[in-house]
Amino acid sequence: MENLEIEGSHKNFFIPTVSFNAKTGICEISGESFLEDTVEFYKQIVEWLERYIDEVKGPIAFIVKLSYFNTSTSRSLLDILNLLKDYEDEGGEVVVNWHFDENDVDMEEDIDDYIIDTGLDINKIPY
Amino acid sequence: MNTAENAYQMYIDLIDSTIISYNGPFDAQVLSVIAENIEYSLSNNPRVSKKLFKIFIELAQNISYYSAERQKNDEGNLYGVGILMLREFKDHYSFSTGNLIEKKHILPVIQKCETINILDRQKLRQYKRKLRNMPSGVPGGGNIGLVQVALTADYPLEYSVVPVDDENSFYILNVRVNKN
Repeated sequence: MENLEIEGSHKNFFIPTVSFNAKTGICEISGESFLEDTVEFYKQIVEWLERYIDEVKGPIAFIVKLSYFNTSTSRSLLDILNLLKDYEDEGGEVVVNWHFDENDVDMEEDIDDYIIDTGLDINKIPY
Repeated sequence: MNTAENAYQMYIDLIDSTIISYNGPFDAQVLSVIAENIEYSLSNNPRVSKKLFKIFIELAQNISYYSAERQKNDEGNLYGVGILMLREFKDHYSFSTGNLIEKKHILPVIQKCETINILDRQKLRQYKRKLRNMPSGVPGGGNIGLVQVALTADYPLEYSVVPVDDENSFYILNVRVNKN
């Protein structure tokens, strides 16, 4: 299975950097997320994860290092986390590490809300 | 002061306080230029700059998607038209937006604003989670942009709706962010 690599940019829209490794299961998303078509962008990520879960059946370490995302993105992130929770419930090995600026109170609240919403153990890592 | 002097004082106050003002379609290019301006104008206060940026994106997207007045940009795509102002006062910044809204959408929008304003922060976070689990794309429905605006501003939303004609009204929203 191929890795998923997307180079981020900060132009008219903000594209996050995506680096999902099919061998190690380390899946990192970083930068900022404000996209022209949020659903279309995150569809490829969800589809990659679904294929990995289906074919590789390996562990997944989902690493989030987003300094900003808009509310459309926040829905797509919820879809990803729900998918990971389902995988975990079916016996998959899942770790979620969420890095955030320790001064960004709003971001920490967002992470807490995802923990409540999904039931996943998300590790909050301040920097 | 006579009327002319009043008008002049109003003009001076407006010029002095205004950081950004825009009237037109809210396409990607415009969003990008204004977002850059916000970051640049407030680079000495990164925390507030980030808050204003977050609020701006959601307000601008609401106009872009939901304004009843639509205009083609240079590439021929239709975008919602509206006005936006960012002004600076002694202890706060203030975002004001205005756009036309179809009469049938007034009630859901007002209900949304009222709901947001009566909820405390914890309840507002619950409301956001509830909306986020609902389908999006319905005006006044699953859209969580306005809830995020209220959470980020940490202030109630100030809004008013002014009748324009048989079909449309003008919807004005004001959002404050403290400097400290």
